[in-house]
Amino acid sequence: MSATIVQPRGSVEIRIGANRIFKSYGSVQANRNVSISVGPRQIHAVVGENGAGKSTLMRALQGLETVDGGEVIVDDLPVRFSGPQQAISEGIGMVHQEFMLAPELTLLENLVLGDEPTRPSFGFLQTVDWDVALGEARQIGERAGISIDWHRSTSTAPVHIQQYVEIFRLLRRGSDVLILDEPTAVLAPQQVEQLFGLLRQLRENGASIIFISHKLQEVEALADHVTIMRKGETVASASVDEMNTSQMTRYIMGENAKAAQQTRGEPGRPKDTGAPLAKITGLNAHTANAQQPLYNISMDVSCGEIVGIAGVAGNGQEELIECLVGLRKAQSGSISINNAELYNAENASFRAHGQGYVSPDRAHEGLAKSATIEANVMAGSQREPAFLRGPMLDRTAFRKEARARLDRLDVQYGTLNDPVSSLSGGNQQKLVFARETARHPKLLVVSQPTRGVDLNGIATIHSYLLSHRETGGSVVLASEELDELMFLCDRILVMSMGRFVGEVSRAEFSPQKIGELMLADPLPQKAANG
Amino acid sequence: MVDGGSENVVAIDARPPRWTLAAENAMRFSLPVLLAFLAGAVLLLAIGENPVAIYQLMLSEGFGSERRIAATLSASTPLLFTAVATAVCFRSGVFNVGVDGAFVLGGLGAAVIGYALPVALGWTIAPLAIGSAMLIAAFWLWVPGVLLAKLEVDEVVSTLMLNFVALGISGFLVNSVFLSETSGNNTTETIHEVAELSRLLPPSTLHSGFLLGLLCVLGYAFWTQRTPQGFEAALVGFNNRFARSVGISVPGTIILVMIISGLVSGAGGAAHALGQVHKFSDGFSAGYGFTGMAIALLARNSAIGILLGAILFGALASAGTTVQLFSDIPLDIVNVIEGTVMIFAVVELGRLTLWRGTGQ
Repeated sequence: MSATIVQPRGSVEIRIGANRIFKSYGSVQANRNVSISVGPRQIHAVVGENGAGKSTLMRALQGLETVDGGEVIVDDLPVRFSGPQQAISEGIGMVHQEFMLAPELTLLENLVLGDEPTRPSFGFLQTVDWDVALGEARQIGERAGISIDWHRSTSTAPVHIQQYVEIFRLLRRGSDVLILDEPTAVLAPQQVEQLFGLLRQLRENGASIIFISHKLQEVEALADHVTIMRKGETVASASVDEMNTSQMTRYIMGENAKAAQQTRGEPGRPKDTGAPLAKITGLNAHTANAQQPLYNISMDVSCGEIVGIAGVAGNGQEELIECLVGLRKAQSGSISINNAELYNAENASFRAHGQGYVSPDRAHEGLAKSATIEANVMAGSQREPAFLRGPMLDRTAFRKEARARLDRLDVQYGTLNDPVSSLSGGNQQKLVFARETARHPKLLVVSQPTRGVDLNGIATIHSYLLSHRETGGSVVLASEELDELMFLCDRILVMSMGRFVGEVSRAEFSPQKIGELMLADPLPQKAANG
Repeated sequence: MVDGGSENVVAIDARPPRWTLAAENAMRFSLPVLLAFLAGAVLLLAIGENPVAIYQLMLSEGFGSERRIAATLSASTPLLFTAVATAVCFRSGVFNVGVDGAFVLGGLGAAVIGYALPVALGWTIAPLAIGSAMLIAAFWLWVPGVLLAKLEVDEVVSTLMLNFVALGISGFLVNSVFLSETSGNNTTETIHEVAELSRLLPPSTLHSGFLLGLLCVLGYAFWTQRTPQGFEAALVGFNNRFARSVGISVPGTIILVMIISGLVSGAGGAAHALGQVHKFSDGFSAGYGFTGMAIALLARNSAIGILLGAILFGALASAGTTVQLFSDIPLDIVNVIEGTVMIFAVVELGRLTLWRGTGQ
């Protein structure tokens, strides 16, 4: 562990920073007088709601955005980046939420992609020297204390390994400023600890790390310093020792802090439950990972309960949800709602039997981004008799209902004809809920309901789900936010490699217990070949 | 976060005022046209002509008198049909380029019925001919519709290739089974006089098919704005994953818009056969399907845009023909303008929008 994998660049006070940055898009001020300074050997957390201006600031630091005023600082001196290339050569690299790896290449190929070690061949041509590449890769892995099968195809590698490769790729190119955008969203608790270990090691080696997160406990556990943004401004910047999470929350939320606190509270006991509302038995289906199909999935959902589905991203949760709402064909099994067999039925049949669906992929499935707000909130209701006059749409009734739906979930919007993309992330998701709950479905299938939603929006959505349960409705909730699952659910089913590996009841909830299950290997052990 | 700029900005009122939206729509229509005329002007200069004089001549030949206007509307008649037939598919994200073939087969069907049925049937021949043409063309486009909806066969390839098949079939038929015994090669008999669509402004060839075309545009506007099916088709076009996840049948919608496209194409072919040429011969469609595509693109599938576009291209065609008589300008200049309009119409004019919003 003593060997270093970071090459820090001399001794400076501010390795990277921004001084009074202004940036606006049209009439929208994304950054106003934003300052930040990150020294070497520092982990600096940046927190704030969606739309607070974090991404704009990060884009400026990477040379992806020219600022209207103020300056980016590198090594104590103001710079004006001509483009992202210059930022990279200054040692600044970013790990995005969506990894930038080519899935069809091996991990090793991804590591060296764009900067391959070469050796001359035929005198004048250059070929990639894979031996050197592998040597470098092994060295970097050893020093970080992580063993990686470098010849593995990237698409089949676990998510946390892919994340390491992303980080190593930046280090290999000489980056000592790492910007990580919500890196823990895809990790199980134990994997988070492992990642934090690596980041701390990099800090000891002299790296500067900017850690974007909305999980304040993680900020407290990892970061040295925290900068809080709200509405395009930096509202606070302090050492993490000087600020606790509730203070951070106040800065993040501003005057709205109270609104979010109100919904904090234990949900009551589940309602008396009779026969299960939904029943899934022996479901088998293909998944994105051919080695880990959904296998023998069985579960019951009773009236008045919220059943959580937990798992490390990519272990079959998404596919299970798709099967539950008729968007993926299964190989065998049975799905029934209210005693109606709906195995491999279309989505419309599930809806007709009282189901609502909140998609995890709001941008591509939950909404039609370029369509109007009216079209988005009314989609699916166009054939209901209430909105028809003969064969025609009753536009007046249609628009009236659209307004009523939006008001019910308190969606902030301009006019019904605006594109839905003009709404903030939180309002977009509230719109999705407004649409999916309009017909009072008995069973809500909800996946990643608060992804990219600000704290106020999260509060609205959580209280909505709880009130749905109070009135006897059922929810199947898949989420990568363990806190969210533990807050909302009556019990949590944990998935690993396409199978259910355990059920945890509310009394037993703990991140350790659920985390262990998330990492379980349910497959029968293969012959001993390592 | 992944979305980049637009989501990560403070939500101050970011909406453009209403008038800029209208201005933007007008510009999206007129800018490609202006740029295309500019490109045509360069070409005219290059061959030593005065573009201003030529364009003036074209303008007066297109709209200069009642007769010229009638000629323009006459030339725009088939385009009304083909543009609607294209737009109805484009609107749902189905890139159907097979309207031309459906138009040709519809025309052939209508012409054959127009001469083969006994004259005694009188005025009923025309509606029978139009109805059959619509059914033939609808079946023709239903095939690639099903292939796309059920088997994910790329509709661009299938419909493009089916155009050649349609040309081949019609070419074979008018040289064999339906070959006229009196009027020579590559053509059917002339239809009965009772089957002809009435002329609106004789001696101009403007015929009542133009009114039928207007009816199609109106029907299209109504269907898109006022029916649940039209609403569903729009959602499928915006985002088919979204449409599917709110319970809309995407395959059903694809097949439906292909059938509608076929019905309209067939009606267009029938109107052209019964109203304009009174028979079917090889070279029946002067690329009407493709001009219709240019119009649909230019109009961004709006009904009003289709109407304006059809008249514009009708004027180009009718003026182009006569300009050729009065000057050395070849008719090809019209094709150049048409092609350039198509290219400019599909350019995303993001950087040219009046309202500079969150664009990066």
